[in-house]
Amino acid sequence: MLKALTQLDQILRGETTRLERLRKGSFELNLGPLIRVGIVLGALYGICMGAFAVVAPGGPGFMQMISSAVKVPALFLLTLVVTFPSLYVFNALIGSRLLIADVLKLLIAALGVTMAVLASLGPIEAFFAVSSTSYDFMILLNVCIFAAAGFLGLGFLLQTLHRLSLIIDFNEIPPSSAAESIPPEPLPDEPAPAEADADREAWMDADLEHFSGPLEMGHDQWLGNHVRKVFACWVVVFGLVGAQMAWLLRPFVGDPSRPFEWFRERDSNFFEAVWTCLANLFS
Amino acid sequence: MMRTLARRADDVLRAQAWEADPRQARSSMFSLMVLIVIFGLLYGAVMGSYAFSMQRLLQVLYAAVKVPILLLVTGLLSLPCFFVLYTLMGLRHDFAEALRSLLAAQAGLAIILASLAPFTVVWYWSTSGYNAAILFNGFMFAVASFTTQWIVRRYYLPLIQRDPRHRLLLRAWLTIYIFVGIQMGWMLRPFIGDPNAPVQFFRSNSWGNAYEVVFRLIWQVVAS
Repeated sequence: MLKALTQLDQILRGETTRLERLRKGSFELNLGPLIRVGIVLGALYGICMGAFAVVAPGGPGFMQMISSAVKVPALFLLTLVVTFPSLYVFNALIGSRLLIADVLKLLIAALGVTMAVLASLGPIEAFFAVSSTSYDFMILLNVCIFAAAGFLGLGFLLQTLHRLSLIIDFNEIPPSSAAESIPPEPLPDEPAPAEADADREAWMDADLEHFSGPLEMGHDQWLGNHVRKVFACWVVVFGLVGAQMAWLLRPFVGDPSRPFEWFRERDSNFFEAVWTCLANLFS
Repeated sequence: MMRTLARRADDVLRAQAWEADPRQARSSMFSLMVLIVIFGLLYGAVMGSYAFSMQRLLQVLYAAVKVPILLLVTGLLSLPCFFVLYTLMGLRHDFAEALRSLLAAQAGLAIILASLAPFTVVWYWSTSGYNAAILFNGFMFAVASFTTQWIVRRYYLPLIQRDPRHRLLLRAWLTIYIFVGIQMGWMLRPFIGDPNAPVQFFRSNSWGNAYEVVFRLIWQVVAS
């Protein structure tokens, strides 16, 4: 457990995704322990979520706490299962040379970051759960917390993908061959490959010297802009799937006016429900 | 003892370096917390002395205890999230210093509040309305929070100069801290204590949500 936590800590510190480590084009990660620690962190947050049901008079009680503790890790694992194939296909389509195992590692690492942020917000969640009586407020607070955690996790994912594709592309063009194949008349707005190589080399070294966090942007102007766009779209899809998956697995917080249930009947959708909560809170 | 305390408080206000000095980390953390507790107790006691009588002696004690609790527990709840954010931004090596700076800022808030306590006393003597007392205390907290920004900025300046991302994290901290702090304050009511109600630590029916109440109030204003 301690080892797994250390590994997660290194991911959070950005040591796992530093350029010198990534140079080989893949990054080393022990998936098993990382998944386990992610599940534990998710379950911890689930317990904090379920505290509302335990405290609320006439609420679903302890069963809700157990159910939430199971459901939060399940939510993320299921979303991962649903979105993993498409991420891999997109990744291959846009010409990145990441292997399937690397993509999986990347996603698990991103989920690890999400879980860490989520669990770190657990005490705040538990405090509000214990002190509030409004079910609608709790739901909206959770939507915000999950959004914040997801945002940071996906930011990590995108940033690491950038770095990985950057390094793979860099490794593909050996500096010597690039120097030999200088076009006779380089276009004025495009730097010559040799120059570009020197640039890359320079900023990579700069990045190595100046320790930067996992969310730190590299100045990767030369990386194809469409890669960014495709992944930005994919991240939106990931968010939508996650939201709908959460809707499928509800209740997480536990309506105090209803008895305990593992799942609810299918109706409405996530966004309509959030809107209703907002309206309830204001009326 | 008293003299050391006063000197430390003075240092906090002047943003002296010892609080953020890594060599004295442990002792400075401890003395900052002592400062928060003592000055928080002071202002709390004054705040609870509204409509003072021997029967309401307990209210003074309750209010005195509540102010340090408000400051410290709010900080404690916001801490894990702040720690993860610092790590994610790659600034873990500065975390301890940032934490000491923020703790010093909270000590500063407590000291400033305590320095405003005489105003509250005069206000309690000169007026009698319960609502006016609540408003006046709210105003004092606002003044103290606003003034504390000076201290925060001075402590954070070296960090921000080293890396501008500290500014972003400071904003994140303030947002989380205020968000939690408002609910914490709401939960710990009554601080002043309605003179017509019996003295109690928690109000029996006050378990609720500050934001829910605020949303309702806004909606009532908008809808009417």
